[in-house]
Amino acid sequence: MSRKITFDYWKHLYSSRTAGMVSSEIRDLLSLSARPDIISFAGGLPEVRALNYQKLERYIKRSLKTDGDISLQYGDSTGYYPLRTKLIDVMRLEGIKADEEDMVTTTGGQQALDLLAKIFINSGDTVITEAPSYTGALNAFKAYEANIIGIPVGDKGIDTKKVEKTLEDLAAKKTQVKFIYVVSNFSNPSGFTISLERRKKLLELAKKYNTMIIEDNPYGMLRYEGKAIPSIKELDAKKDGRNVIYISTVSKMLAPGFRIGWIVAPHPILEKLTLGVQSAVLCNSTFSQRIAYEYFSDPAWKENITEFIKIYKKRRDTMLSSLEENFSGIADWSRPEGGFFIWLKVPDYLNMKEILADAVRKKVAFVPGTGFYADGRGTDTARLAFCTETRENIQKGMKILAKITKDKIKLYKSFK
Amino acid sequence: MKKSIAVLMGGRSLEREISIKSGQRISNALRNLGYEVAKLDIDQSIIDNLKAERYDLAYIALHGKDGEDGTIQEMLEVLEIPYTGPGVYANVFGFDKIVSKQIFNKLDIPTPEFYFLNASSFRELGASKILPQIVKKLGLPLVVKPSAQGSALGIKLVEKEEDLTDAIISALGYSKKVILEKYINGVELAVSIIGKDKPDVLPVVEIVPENNFFDFESRSKIGDTEYFIPARISEKEMKEVSDTALAVHKALNCTDLSRVDIMLGENDRVPYVLELNTSPGMTDTSLLPMAAQEAGISFEELVDKIVKMALE
Repeated sequence: MSRKITFDYWKHLYSSRTAGMVSSEIRDLLSLSARPDIISFAGGLPEVRALNYQKLERYIKRSLKTDGDISLQYGDSTGYYPLRTKLIDVMRLEGIKADEEDMVTTTGGQQALDLLAKIFINSGDTVITEAPSYTGALNAFKAYEANIIGIPVGDKGIDTKKVEKTLEDLAAKKTQVKFIYVVSNFSNPSGFTISLERRKKLLELAKKYNTMIIEDNPYGMLRYEGKAIPSIKELDAKKDGRNVIYISTVSKMLAPGFRIGWIVAPHPILEKLTLGVQSAVLCNSTFSQRIAYEYFSDPAWKENITEFIKIYKKRRDTMLSSLEENFSGIADWSRPEGGFFIWLKVPDYLNMKEILADAVRKKVAFVPGTGFYADGRGTDTARLAFCTETRENIQKGMKILAKITKDKIKLYKSFK
Repeated sequence: MKKSIAVLMGGRSLEREISIKSGQRISNALRNLGYEVAKLDIDQSIIDNLKAERYDLAYIALHGKDGEDGTIQEMLEVLEIPYTGPGVYANVFGFDKIVSKQIFNKLDIPTPEFYFLNASSFRELGASKILPQIVKKLGLPLVVKPSAQGSALGIKLVEKEEDLTDAIISALGYSKKVILEKYINGVELAVSIIGKDKPDVLPVVEIVPENNFFDFESRSKIGDTEYFIPARISEKEMKEVSDTALAVHKALNCTDLSRVDIMLGENDRVPYVLELNTSPGMTDTSLLPMAAQEAGISFEELVDKIVKMALE
């Protein structure tokens, strides 16, 4: 008698939102990039080796010695207060004025996104993002079954004319947009920065259509050239300060292993977020926050940023010149003034996923662009992270990528 | 004295992740069975690692390139380390789907009608011009697949002629040659075979993919595909399917074990051989362990059996 084999006995119990949580072929291909012999332009991994580990050791010791009882205990759901006082100083460097009471710390920027999705999104609610947008944000929003509308980006950031048109059309249909999510500086994945004019326009639109802007700024401190542009948060503060929720993280200023992020938001929203933190984790790691407090209390942390900038700038320059050398005439790419990523656009008919399959066999990895679109667009794009590899590896890897791309173009043309 | 076994896993193939899952599970089973186990990733230092200890056996938990194409087997032959699964011959000829299909044709083992083309024939010989004739001969839909790749990576079902180019170029991303194969609608079956001189056919598994085509996503995702064991086919068909699989196993000299994937035609009820796997998956959702379980062989017993055959 034949019987049905069941691997997952609990299929009938899952919530509908798990349907949006899927694994992909790309993820499998990228599992290869974890190998040490692979030149990886895939992950945006900060250069933590540039940190002074001996100093960190001292911070950890001090956290235990002087404050062990607090460091190892449950803490405040809004975050470890002394750290918040330091994060206020950090934000001030970027022109943002906020108080300790205006913020809540989170487990990395990712939890900030999850919490915001949790408090704002009902199944089917509409949100606007950049297209391409940060995958972690798209996944967080999808997990709450959001209807995501992606607006194209260019070298001045998100296309505000299209945002306006979209908001207008949705308003006509009486659809309330819950928020507009943007990475304002050196966006992940595109590397684009939203211009001042467009920041102002976005804010104006948010006010007109009575919605929020979530401004995610993990890379703002990592500017390699050009003048900093006021954050949307700062612009909003000059008006009524109602429409912007600001997110950042210590991942790029210190290290991602600490898993510390934070949200600055209007107080009623903060109250909901704090309840969200309580139901998710009670409080975020006090120990981790206590050590980070030591780090930001030592004025030398700013020297680390200078060091990070020095390292990343060189790598960005190497990748840009490698692109110039190898991809001229066959692709376009962004020229970010900071951050970790360059966005590559190849001819429409090429599929970067197929190029990845070839590339990983030749020991080079990157992330195909489709993962950064909510609707599967972007097969002809890729994100190249320049932050991780050495100069030699960047040059070598880009040569290999260009060779594969040129071979594919030749192959394609043979079909015409 | 405990036998010492090197479990070879990971590697450079695109099926690295699946291999690690297989290898992990095999290693646990071997430890429970009382063997001394070392897990070795396949990279530049594999020869040094294999020479560093005196291993009694290499357990090949690799899939795809290097592990399933004869490369690692040949190296182990040179190093004189016994290894699990079929030898060099079966791996070399089984991994290249074009070669194995040619062998099936020669021996009158049914396999879907096919044509193959290589990347350079498109670039240098204008092979794209014969695609309409191929479509005419094979009909639509047709299956496009790389000649050497496991786990259904790069396989596409082409329903419209205009999608053919993309599918071919996609497949050529995984392999230098591409197969265009007649699509056989029917019952998809996995036949696992184990044993030395008189190999046994384990209960046949029937695969029912949710989206009607067993591609990479459904192969790797739990819950999207339904499996029936033994397959819901007649006794006569079961015998034909088993005989066909055994014929493949023997033709390609698959000592110890193999898994033969077959499509039983919906109307003609012919068991068409799709491909041979010389290093079948051993994860908790893989077909060989599933078939063994049905035959009353636990995972540990299966692993032990494979080890003992290799050590014979």
